[in-house]
Amino acid sequence: MTNPIPPQPTSDTNPIDRRTWLIGAGATMAGLLTLPLIRRAMQMTAPVFVARNQRYDGPLEQTIRDGLIATGLDPAGLRGKRVLLKPNLVEPSRRSPQMTTNPAVIIAAAEVFRKWGAHVTVGEGPGHVRDTEMALDESGVQEALDASQLTFDDLNYSELGWLKNAGRKSKLKGLFFPQQVIEADLIVSMPKMKTHHWVGYTGALKNLYGVIPGVKYGWPKNVLHYAGIPQTIYDINASLPKAIAIVDGILAMEGDGPILGSAKPMGLLVIGTNSTAVDATLGRIMGFDPARIGYLQLAGNRLGPVDDRCIEQRGERWQSVASPFTVIDFPHLQELRATDVLVT
Amino acid sequence: MVLLDDVLARLATAETCGYHQGSQMATEPAALTALALLAHRRETAALPLLHWLAGLQTAEGNVGISAAQSTPGWPTGWAMMAWQAAQRSPIADPKFALAIERAVQWALQTQGETMEAVNPQGHDTSIPGWPWVEGTHAWLEPTAMNSLALEHTGHGNHPRARQALELLQDRQLATGGCNYGNTIVFGQKLLPHLEPTGLCLLALAGVFDATGRTGRSAEYLLRELSARTATISLSYGLLGLAAQNRLPEGADDWLAAAAARTLARDASSYKLSLLALASLGTSCPLIPPRAEGTAK
Repeated sequence: MTNPIPPQPTSDTNPIDRRTWLIGAGATMAGLLTLPLIRRAMQMTAPVFVARNQRYDGPLEQTIRDGLIATGLDPAGLRGKRVLLKPNLVEPSRRSPQMTTNPAVIIAAAEVFRKWGAHVTVGEGPGHVRDTEMALDESGVQEALDASQLTFDDLNYSELGWLKNAGRKSKLKGLFFPQQVIEADLIVSMPKMKTHHWVGYTGALKNLYGVIPGVKYGWPKNVLHYAGIPQTIYDINASLPKAIAIVDGILAMEGDGPILGSAKPMGLLVIGTNSTAVDATLGRIMGFDPARIGYLQLAGNRLGPVDDRCIEQRGERWQSVASPFTVIDFPHLQELRATDVLVT
Repeated sequence: MVLLDDVLARLATAETCGYHQGSQMATEPAALTALALLAHRRETAALPLLHWLAGLQTAEGNVGISAAQSTPGWPTGWAMMAWQAAQRSPIADPKFALAIERAVQWALQTQGETMEAVNPQGHDTSIPGWPWVEGTHAWLEPTAMNSLALEHTGHGNHPRARQALELLQDRQLATGGCNYGNTIVFGQKLLPHLEPTGLCLLALAGVFDATGRTGRSAEYLLRELSARTATISLSYGLLGLAAQNRLPEGADDWLAAAAARTLARDASSYKLSLLALASLGTSCPLIPPRAEGTAK
């Protein structure tokens, strides 16, 4: 069977081709690696699709289909494959729809993959609440899944498997994952576009914290915090290279995210087959400098491109939809802002 | 509770006790099922579960999350309570007494990592309590589980048990309710949730509270619980209210509604056992045997 995703680089499988390696090696020997031209030749590229004017009652299925194809996903390679959609249901409340991935986006994505012949399930391991039934009710996801006859995997309590830590940025030698995650042919990270009071903002890479089982790591998944948040975000994503991203940025969150922030209507879907490139683009739209975000510093040119010149814009240019997000007034967050953005 | 017989019949005949229907056997659902069956005088059905739990106990005394995972040991408190309940029943066994003794030793030697306060207005990070995973910070639910286990096994006066009560009082939001165990972060009060609030109030039964937080947490539960509340949250919420002698009039009907939904959808031992325990109201044996206001 063909792989539906374009090659996903990891720290162990640098995507640079042999010719570029030779150039790079030669340049290193000549002491020329600091030249911008050579540096850029050593970097990887990836496309990101941005769609504006999106609504939860609009033609989301069409937008998602277009975005996935535009960023290199091969629909023919998905027939018969197991696709796991991973929304963000961290701490759902009907009073804060800006906190969690909207059910309409989840169902639209599921329909896209179903029509391409994939076996689709939805799974999440909420990081702050143990009652997953409550999380599904409060988020409205259960009702939507029932109406679409989709099944849900509670990733907090699934049977476990262990994978060697392919990232090795934290001290963890390996990571326990639910078997459904290990066995999935494709994981679709479906985060909410929102600020995060510890790391700046949260997107596709951080959203995969939710595939880590609470029964093994706790609520919150404190083992990961002790091992380093940026480091474990990197390690999880390096260990799960079969992941792509569909970001719900229609009703986003600014201020004191990821739980208590305010709604910020953006009308965006951001889609890509490389989560690092998607998160870097997300940050630029939100007024952050991605190069200052800890986990993107680790992921850049290892898991994907962060440099704007290496991200091919499909759909809308990010500059045309950028709208700086407010963050709480703490130095560790303010210093993550792009220098040409002034927001209080 | 209407449907209680159906719930108990499912529990007594379940092939596995998992978190979801058909999922693998796990320690916490197995221990809760044993507790529910014992509380409803189904000792014979509980016996295999009690032996299964004893078989999982490690040399260190903890019981892991499943047969395949001997760590972390956070479900050990539930196993302790199940064995202790058996010791008060016709199926008492010296083997369970020994298992309790070893588990108590493990619990008393295990504690969360303390740290300097990250948020000065937040919770007291110097109280050890119990973590989900050894080597990490103490959180509300594992502390409540161990607090209950120590109280039920006769160690309620141990300094660690006293510290646990202190932590549970401290981790409640000033306006009532609690979450996984954080109160204020970057100056913002976090959101409460039903399930941890219920478990917290269950563990704090009969504990004097000069701050008024426990009463406000009960008020939060009374405001939020209803017939539509998800099964686990409803069950823990009502157990917490029962422990505080604040059960609402509609409790039995709400449990019946949840039981009907659960039997029709995900009739897991985890959910059914909690329903069966909550249906006992103020007679539930999970409620610590403290006299009102004795623990301070």
